[in-house]
Amino acid sequence: MSQTITIADYGVGNLYSVRSALEHCSATPVMATTYDEVLAADRLLLPGVGAFGDSMKGMHRTGMFDAVRDFATKERPLLGICLGMQMLLSDSEEFGLNDGLNLIPGHVKMIPDAGSDGRSHRVPHVGWAPIFSPPSITEWSTSLLKGIPQNTAFYFVHSLYSVTADPSHLIANCDYDGQALGAVVQNGPIFGCQFHPEKSAQAGLTMIKNFLDL
Amino acid sequence: MAFLRVVARLDVKGSNLIKGVHLEGLRVIGDPNEHAKKYYAEGADEIIYMDTVASLYGRNNLTDVVRRTVHDVFVPITVGGGIRSVDDAQEILRSGADKVAINTAATSNPELLTQVAQRFGAQCLVLSIEAKQQNDGTWEAYCDNGRERTGLDVIEWAKRGTEIGAGEILLTSIDREGTRKGFDLKLLKAVSDAVTVPVIASGGMGSMKHFAEAVHVGRADAIAMADIIHYERMQLSEIKNTAAKMNLNVRTL
Amino acid sequence: MTNNTNVWAAGLKPLDKQILDIPKDVKFCRKCVVSNQRPRIKFDEEGVCSACRFAERKRNGIDWGMRESELEQLLDKHRRNDGSWDIIVPGSGGKDSAYVAHQLRDRWGMNPLTVTWSPFVYTDIGRKNFHSFIDSGFNNMLATPNGDMHRKLSKLSFLGVGDAWQPFTYGQVSFAFHIALKFGIKLVFFGENGEAEYGGDTKNNDLPGMPLEDWRMLYFKGANLDELLQRGVEHDFFTERDVKNNFQFYYPPSHEEMRKSGCEMHWYSYYQKWIPQENYYYCREHTGFEANSERSEGTYSKYASLDDKMDGFHFYLAYIKFGISRCTSDAAHEVRDGHITRDEAIALVKRYEAEFPQKNYQEFLEYTDITDEQFWQVIDSWRQPHIWEKRDSEWCLKHAVYYPEDAVETIEWD
Repeated sequence: MSQTITIADYGVGNLYSVRSALEHCSATPVMATTYDEVLAADRLLLPGVGAFGDSMKGMHRTGMFDAVRDFATKERPLLGICLGMQMLLSDSEEFGLNDGLNLIPGHVKMIPDAGSDGRSHRVPHVGWAPIFSPPSITEWSTSLLKGIPQNTAFYFVHSLYSVTADPSHLIANCDYDGQALGAVVQNGPIFGCQFHPEKSAQAGLTMIKNFLDL
Repeated sequence: MAFLRVVARLDVKGSNLIKGVHLEGLRVIGDPNEHAKKYYAEGADEIIYMDTVASLYGRNNLTDVVRRTVHDVFVPITVGGGIRSVDDAQEILRSGADKVAINTAATSNPELLTQVAQRFGAQCLVLSIEAKQQNDGTWEAYCDNGRERTGLDVIEWAKRGTEIGAGEILLTSIDREGTRKGFDLKLLKAVSDAVTVPVIASGGMGSMKHFAEAVHVGRADAIAMADIIHYERMQLSEIKNTAAKMNLNVRTL
Repeated sequence: MTNNTNVWAAGLKPLDKQILDIPKDVKFCRKCVVSNQRPRIKFDEEGVCSACRFAERKRNGIDWGMRESELEQLLDKHRRNDGSWDIIVPGSGGKDSAYVAHQLRDRWGMNPLTVTWSPFVYTDIGRKNFHSFIDSGFNNMLATPNGDMHRKLSKLSFLGVGDAWQPFTYGQVSFAFHIALKFGIKLVFFGENGEAEYGGDTKNNDLPGMPLEDWRMLYFKGANLDELLQRGVEHDFFTERDVKNNFQFYYPPSHEEMRKSGCEMHWYSYYQKWIPQENYYYCREHTGFEANSERSEGTYSKYASLDDKMDGFHFYLAYIKFGISRCTSDAAHEVRDGHITRDEAIALVKRYEAEFPQKNYQEFLEYTDITDEQFWQVIDSWRQPHIWEKRDSEWCLKHAVYYPEDAVETIEWD
């Protein structure tokens, strides 16, 4: 039997690819536009593409902000993708300071335009980058990344990155010119991935399957 | 460091994958979806679809092709050709594309780049430049699938376009494309040096030597290929494996 | 050169006889985009043109294997192997003649002598491709006719038949035969049978070459060189002596001479399926041919007919005379070859066909020694009422393949 997964639809974002990837993993994606639909979800996906400020406005305007926050109290799995992950944090400095959902305390900051060696590098960070666990852990305990080897490449497109207030919420980083940028975060059943799993070929599909199995 | 991307470039006309030389003489190769699937399975890091008759019809016609591709292909898809407005860009993004590539409309209305970037983010916007060598060693930007001159200097245009919104550049050498004689390295390097965004090299790949040169000399962030894979001179998987053996930083399966 | 205003006073009447034969109701082919205004073309009951029907046969009705055997036999018969040239390939070094020459030499083991009748005014890309072709390994004879006479004839031709470029066509065919005779070469191979491929008189569609008797009509396109020269003398462009001394290559050798020599003219397109775009690819690989960096004015393509600055005005005049021109021909052929759809062809014609060849206009006026005013007087005199009308003092086509009123139901190619 295929699993249902609800996608919070707040009017912004490329939802077609996400749905295709979910279907490919034998899930049945259901679009949610109302509070009740979100609360009824077995598991929730929060997508995002574009700018933080605009997206948060959309969240508020459509009532998704409250819906998602209330869903988060239910202890059911929630996955934020890309901007969706950033929105889980407390605030972001993109185009001015905007508040997020604050489900995973922390801040979203601009990726510095220089690498750790001081040489300027390109922003946004675009492309495939390997992810790895932070120095304190040698392997991923989170079931979200089950079966995914260290240094597997995922596809990133972002100009900002997340810094969690609590280091234990940071599950994986990607490397960008010597700087570790938050790639996967987790606070209980609430997950975020900065990369696009629906665009990360087999690795991404594996992660999606893991989320569906939670 | 982000991996070097190996990008499959598919020029599409109507329902056909086509290929030309110097953007001219466009031969039908086959079904775009089938080819995209194949390249994805072989490890393509990205797919680019260019609608080569979009300017002629006044609109991009690839949404159906993209929708079908998104069912089976789980890597980023960039779509270009005939995108003239924010609405055009939106329609394409909604059909499943991750990025839009804009050339012709931006050359006559650079504002469009800013509008699209502000609406969807610079990372969704690729500035597509078709460059033709001039006698004085500079390059002129062409548009309308290599049919019309713009009078714009490529380096200046690349700088300007990325300053006002584009997050990436797709740089096609009209002189080299379809020739298999290698990339225009001077062009590549000049543009890479001038901008801070990623540059995708397009046009001229005939061998792995060209691939390596584009990276080492041209400083390209991504290599786009068409002729070599459409005519099956090399398999994309072979290209990636060989690149890895040459110590080039590519994602391997 | 004198500006012969007395030519104007004489009111030079149109000589182009082919104008008189075209139907007055304009129709467009249902399988391609050509109209029935193209001289000598025929449309059948289904509304499909003869070029499309011929293209259908090219796809399904011709045994190309057999045609190739015929070619093999023909060439076996004429191959010399003693170092002398055994075949003549006329052409400019463009994609078509280069393809034919290369095939004959490399695939069929012939020893071709290529001959070129100079364009009026070489373009840079034309000269470049001409030399690339020769440099790729071919012997060539380039004939450049008396520049002064050629120019005067060009002017006369423009004033008389609206086409300054027409004198080129006399030598283009004739010169090859003079050389064939002088060197005792029995075969002259042209590229395409234009009437079959683009829609014209179909009577030679199944012949390997054009019979000598047909030249007058087809290649002189309704006007006779003698008449033009006569007018030239009457209006003091040149003298009788000039005429006697300078135009040998513009006339083909006599019937008698040709018959005695056993020299034959063939089309390569009879023996091998002719696909211009494939010629482009072929020449890119084998003879160093390069497409132009810009598309040609009046069409979308970059690799056809590149070498003469005067070219554009021949095509533009055709547009005025028949309402269709270069873009229609290019697009129609590509539809028949399966490269583009009819819809795309229509969009291309709409976009490019009416384009005026501005780039070389000044040079054209200088070469032909006419003024802008005279140019338009002549051009306008060729507009026929069933093709053109004035709306708000602008000349407009009454019919176009892209007008909704002229739309016909497309028959798809399978």
